Amino acid sequence: MRDLKEILEKIENLIAEKDIDMSKIKDLQIDFIKNKLKNQHCINNYIGDFPTFIEPVHLKANVKIGDDVLIGPNVYVGDNCRIGDYGEIINTIIFDNVEIGENFKLENCIIAKESKLTFNNLKAFSCILKGQTDNKENLEKISF
Amino acid sequence: MPDKEKEFQRIQELESINLARPEIRDQVLETKKEVEKDNDIIAEKINKELSKHNIKSFDIVGAIGAGKTAILEKIAEKLSSKYRILVICGDITTRVDADRIEAHNAETIQINTGRECALNAYHIYQIIKNKDLNNYDLIFIENVGNLICPSEFSLGTDKRIVIVSITEGEWVIEKHPMLFKMSDIAVINKIDLIERLGTDVEKMKKDAKQINPDIQVITTSAKTSNNIDKLIEIMM
Repeated sequence: MRDLKEILEKIENLIAEKDIDMSKIKDLQIDFIKNKLKNQHCINNYIGDFPTFIEPVHLKANVKIGDDVLIGPNVYVGDNCRIGDYGEIINTIIFDNVEIGENFKLENCIIAKESKLTFNNLKAFSCILKGQTDNKENLEKISF
Repeated sequence: MPDKEKEFQRIQELESINLARPEIRDQVLETKKEVEKDNDIIAEKINKELSKHNIKSFDIVGAIGAGKTAILEKIAEKLSSKYRILVICGDITTRVDADRIEAHNAETIQINTGRECALNAYHIYQIIKNKDLNNYDLIFIENVGNLICPSEFSLGTDKRIVIVSITEGEWVIEKHPMLFKMSDIAVINKIDLIERLGTDVEKMKKDAKQINPDIQVITTSAKTSNNIDKLIEIMM
């Protein structure tokens, strides 16, 4: 658990910087997914109507999940997050207080804390997502 | 690239353009779900990937309580010292089955399907592509307990094994032909209870053969280990 927290803090600090060190992010993300989530499967606290989970998935408190959502494998979702209907979240880290709209297909992504991406329909692969917007055009998307 | 896969890519591109048009969005969403999860294409990919790594794979299907987990526990107990085993367990919720099998030294991954009544190839592919397949010799997939829905979804395994038990009554095979049609082995489990229950096992065997003349039928007892070695022999 301490390991998990440590690496999440590192990633969180790195993606908050202005010039993000992408190679570092990539290594940390792979390490997190391959090693740190192992035996940390925890899906007891979500609010929602029986989504599909593929181990390992680690959900923190007060995560709200829409209908017909697939989460996992290798997904971490922080406190107070909201995931819209029809989502597919694979190999992804979502930090605290994030909100994402309907039909988000995310693979190998990291969403920065407090992001509110309230538009619908996004397909993203290997990138950092940030922003507070209901318009896809204003999304901050940094590929790695 | 096979034609079907090319067509699949073309439709995907079209969909992303069409999704931006609110007037047809709902219709596109529906189609998108259908196409993206086109089960047979993904099942083929899984089979190729597993064969490339010399992994033997089995899809275990059967009703709730037929003894799928109990038989897998016995198989894991007997094979885990010789082979590196991965068991993927499907259940609508909990990891009860995965925990039982893991106690016999097999690595397990639980899929909780929520409201879905069977595993599909898309679920399995998400696991396969994120695993180092050089670490495994055998993969077992224990499907969600159900004799109906799994027949809709091939998972790309080498063999499908359908397990029923004599406690389900002698009509169970006759009443659920689809799964027997597409399985390689039919296991009639809980044979240790035969004297008590008096189920007509011969009828069950006959029904299975009638539905699928190529199916191999075997009676077992996971409780007493009766015929488990024989089952392993015909599986491998």
